[in-house]
Amino acid sequence: MRNLLPLLLSIGFRLALWCLLTSDLSWLNLLIGLVVALLLPRARSRPLPLRALLLATSRSLLAIPQAYGEALRLIFAPAVEEREASEPATDRALPLLVFLDVFRITLTPFTIVLGLEDDGRRYRIHSLMPASKQDGSRL
Amino acid sequence: MQGSLVDHTSLLLLGAGLTLWFWGSWPLLENRSYLSKLHALSVADTLGSALMLLGLLLRIPGQWPLLTLALLGLIVWNTIFGYVLAACSLPARDSTQAGEQR
Repeated sequence: MRNLLPLLLSIGFRLALWCLLTSDLSWLNLLIGLVVALLLPRARSRPLPLRALLLATSRSLLAIPQAYGEALRLIFAPAVEEREASEPATDRALPLLVFLDVFRITLTPFTIVLGLEDDGRRYRIHSLMPASKQDGSRL
Repeated sequence: MQGSLVDHTSLLLLGAGLTLWFWGSWPLLENRSYLSKLHALSVADTLGSALMLLGLLLRIPGQWPLLTLALLGLIVWNTIFGYVLAACSLPARDSTQAGEQR
């Protein structure tokens, strides 16, 4: 299952995009979509732990409402401050999980991933947050 | 009655999206740091546009497959593009993989 998961994911994702694009669920169209999905080149895949994938996916989805909350806080903040931070990274051997992490962190307006540091063990993060009350330095 | 509720909600979403667009694009003209402009742009581009697409989705439900595709593409593409712009704004660093590939 772990070995098959990347293949199933990429085929399923491509087929879903194909169906959305053509908005046609007839057997012939599904077949064409499946052939296209199989023919497109694929990255070399590694076994993917399902639990970690589900966790990363749900965290990414939760980041969307959170992003709106952060946007509102930024809009109504009287002053903001910039900072650099870092966060432990997931296993770099699993590109999909790293992608989901980068997506989750960058989607929210407070934080942007700048890259990996410390030999890929941590994400380097730039953050822009409402300033805390005591130091009201305006940018 | 239901139709007008959908209409009003869609107008509200479009308006909110437009507000976020202006709020996030305005800092581009100001004298601020590059990265803080990117933070604001992620509000405008990603979140504002997503609200607008949701508004359109309510307005033209018949086109939902394409609008969903646009929504998906927009959120993922904008976010990752923001990351790429941020990562490229830094001088190449020795410890990162990008630095090694140079």
